[in-house]
Amino acid sequence: MKRFKSVSLMLLTFVMATGLILTGCGGGGTTAPKAQPKKDTITIAIPNEPSTMDVQFADDGNMRAVTDNVVQGLLLMDGKTLKPIPGLATEYSQVNSTTWDFKLRKGVTFQNGNPFTADDVVYSIKRIIDPNFKSNIAGDFATIKDVQKVGDYEVNIITNGPDPILPTRLTLLEILNKKAMEADSKGIATMVVGTGPYKVVSWSKGQNIVLQAYDGYWGNKPAIKNVKYRFIEEDATRAAALKNGEVDFATTMLPEYVDSLPQVKTAEGLEFSLVRMNAISGVMKDPKIRQAASYAINWDAIAKSLYQGYATIGQGQVFKSTYTGYDPNLKAYPFDLNKAKQLLAEAGYKGQPIEFVGEQGRWLKDGEQIQAIAQMLKDAGFNVNVKMLAFSKWLEVLFDRSKAPDMIFTFHSNDIFDADRTYSTYVLSTGPGSSYPNTLDQEIIQARTEMDTQKRTQLYNDIAQKLYDDPAWIDGVNIRDIDGMAKDVVYQPREDGRLAVFEMSFK
Amino acid sequence: MAQYILRKLLGAVVVIAGVSLLVFILTRVIGNPVDVMLPLNATAADRVRLAHQLGIDKPILTQLGEFITGVFHGNFGESWYEQQPALSVALERLPFTLELSGIAMALALIFAIPLGVLSALRPRSLLDKVTSTLSMFGICVPNFWLGLVLILIFANTLHWLPTSGVGDWRYLVLPAITMAVLPLGRITQIVRTAMLEQLREPYVVTARSKGLLEFWVVVRHALKNAGISIVTMSGWELGRIIAGYAIAIEAVFGLPGIGSLVVDSIGQQDFPLIQALTFVIATCITLINLLIDMTYPFFNPRLKFK
Repeated sequence: MKRFKSVSLMLLTFVMATGLILTGCGGGGTTAPKAQPKKDTITIAIPNEPSTMDVQFADDGNMRAVTDNVVQGLLLMDGKTLKPIPGLATEYSQVNSTTWDFKLRKGVTFQNGNPFTADDVVYSIKRIIDPNFKSNIAGDFATIKDVQKVGDYEVNIITNGPDPILPTRLTLLEILNKKAMEADSKGIATMVVGTGPYKVVSWSKGQNIVLQAYDGYWGNKPAIKNVKYRFIEEDATRAAALKNGEVDFATTMLPEYVDSLPQVKTAEGLEFSLVRMNAISGVMKDPKIRQAASYAINWDAIAKSLYQGYATIGQGQVFKSTYTGYDPNLKAYPFDLNKAKQLLAEAGYKGQPIEFVGEQGRWLKDGEQIQAIAQMLKDAGFNVNVKMLAFSKWLEVLFDRSKAPDMIFTFHSNDIFDADRTYSTYVLSTGPGSSYPNTLDQEIIQARTEMDTQKRTQLYNDIAQKLYDDPAWIDGVNIRDIDGMAKDVVYQPREDGRLAVFEMSFK
Repeated sequence: MAQYILRKLLGAVVVIAGVSLLVFILTRVIGNPVDVMLPLNATAADRVRLAHQLGIDKPILTQLGEFITGVFHGNFGESWYEQQPALSVALERLPFTLELSGIAMALALIFAIPLGVLSALRPRSLLDKVTSTLSMFGICVPNFWLGLVLILIFANTLHWLPTSGVGDWRYLVLPAITMAVLPLGRITQIVRTAMLEQLREPYVVTARSKGLLEFWVVVRHALKNAGISIVTMSGWELGRIIAGYAIAIEAVFGLPGIGSLVVDSIGQQDFPLIQALTFVIATCITLINLLIDMTYPFFNPRLKFK
């Protein structure tokens, strides 16, 4: 046994020594950021690495968190009112119902030093509407037919038909430098050149993207000189990095983290949940049953318990009050179980099975929301069968009008802040996500091309009223965007969901 | 010897080809990537056009033919999202994962072998029981959860180590430990079982009766003979680290390895990238297995390369 002990001792010493080396080394390091006299760099944690910097190609929120500080459109979006404001164009007017005239800003330079002129605008618009360029966001600009140079600082944009939303669309159409693009058409994938307040300095794949304030910027100089983006996919780690002082700013925080973070600012988000109902076939074709479903859901409970209050209930529509087409007179369906049961009885509902399709993991607590909604529907007397699908399969179901399920859960984001986006997607009988009859088609098409803002709003309010009584979906909740930041960061998140580093500063 | 390696390599090619083919077919049935790529408001015409541009509207056999032709030219196509050659996107991320996996594996072995040997030497002792409990814990605990707990303790509470990202060696400590725990648990148990078997063999008695130091009896004789199971298990675990654990752990620690790319590419249904990644990972694992096979004669000279 003596020998056994000596062997054991030797091996044990080895294990312990290794352990000591490891823990000992760990204790030696410090991760506290070095004190700096004046902070001029902000480190921002976003969930994922952008896939590209080609702002005209991708539909990618992580990319926009970076590039919205680098590139600009003819018009910019006001972060509070969600109305277009002058950007690279100083003013615009309509020549006729399909031709718009834009006067361009003079004295603007791209971050590579090249001056900004009408040629850049013509190049950029033609590039994105070119069907051979497989832009994922080309659909946003489908109404643009052509663009013509009028002078060095003036262009005309021609639309296929009257398009009242053109100014808003142009806030999404980023202007690129023609010369730089023609010299190197592939370079934009890793480094985009724009006219914005920051220029891209470097992109170390997998690690970080670094921006620096552009000295020649035409507008107000940003307060913070350098920006470093890090990519941390796991929400809890992103929060931990913020708490540890490794990053100064962390986007998309969960409601649960709010109490433990140094500073939190929120804004109404863009995503509204909704449960689309099949109004063209099946059990739910009867509007009374769809109304009953609307009465059956206790959205207040969902907003409070699932989102800890960081969610706002849609007021009879899936619009924020700043959207074109918002009807201030509409109110959310109240939670009224008796009314729901009464309507079901009136409709003669005998417990026929109702298929409710959902997905999980794409949006914050989508799966939990679906379970809550299904339970509430059951409480009201609906015989609901929940069918959870993988995201891409779920998309196929959402887009297939001929096989529309009785109910399908989705989140809807209206990135042009205009009722047309929602109605053409989910109500218009030819819309990609519609299971609604063609009863409102005419009004939707009329409103889409109505150039008089007041008349247009009137049309949309009328549509909203009709949809309230003969619903295409159950209005859900709008989840607030939660940004976590260090104590010394000053920033108010924008209503358009853009991350504007040029509006940030240190205390 | 050369013939043996050649035959093994040939087998490896068949395995990699089989895996690639399987993934090719699987990607084609998990849903339509066009729906994922385009915004919800895109029209049916947009979807048809994109499907055509991506070439996924062609018959599956035509696509397969193009894929195979491409692979023979080392061309997996361009990643649909990154617009760069898929193979180089995948290879760019590989070294980091290999480095981290290597460190984790070394860490696991450094602890697993002594602990397993000690437990085998004194079965049912306190040390054995503690080791068994801990290795069961290592096997059962979900590693993404463990990663978050380690961040909470060592970064947020003690401030010894950074939470996430890449930098000097301190950034690798927590991910490497998190990654090592599961293989550590498994290998410890394998070492223990293999050693228990060997220590019962007559040659151990002979070695002891020669008056050999117990240390050499254990290390040079018993452990060497237990080597085959240990090495086989380690190779298998290394494969699992690269193709499995790395996915969750890289996401938790915000690391730029191949694991996080796997998650993204599947979510985006980026077919060319998924195929390139599968190819790279399958190649890695086949090579590891090949290397493991080649160490066998060292542990047991009776096993010749045949």
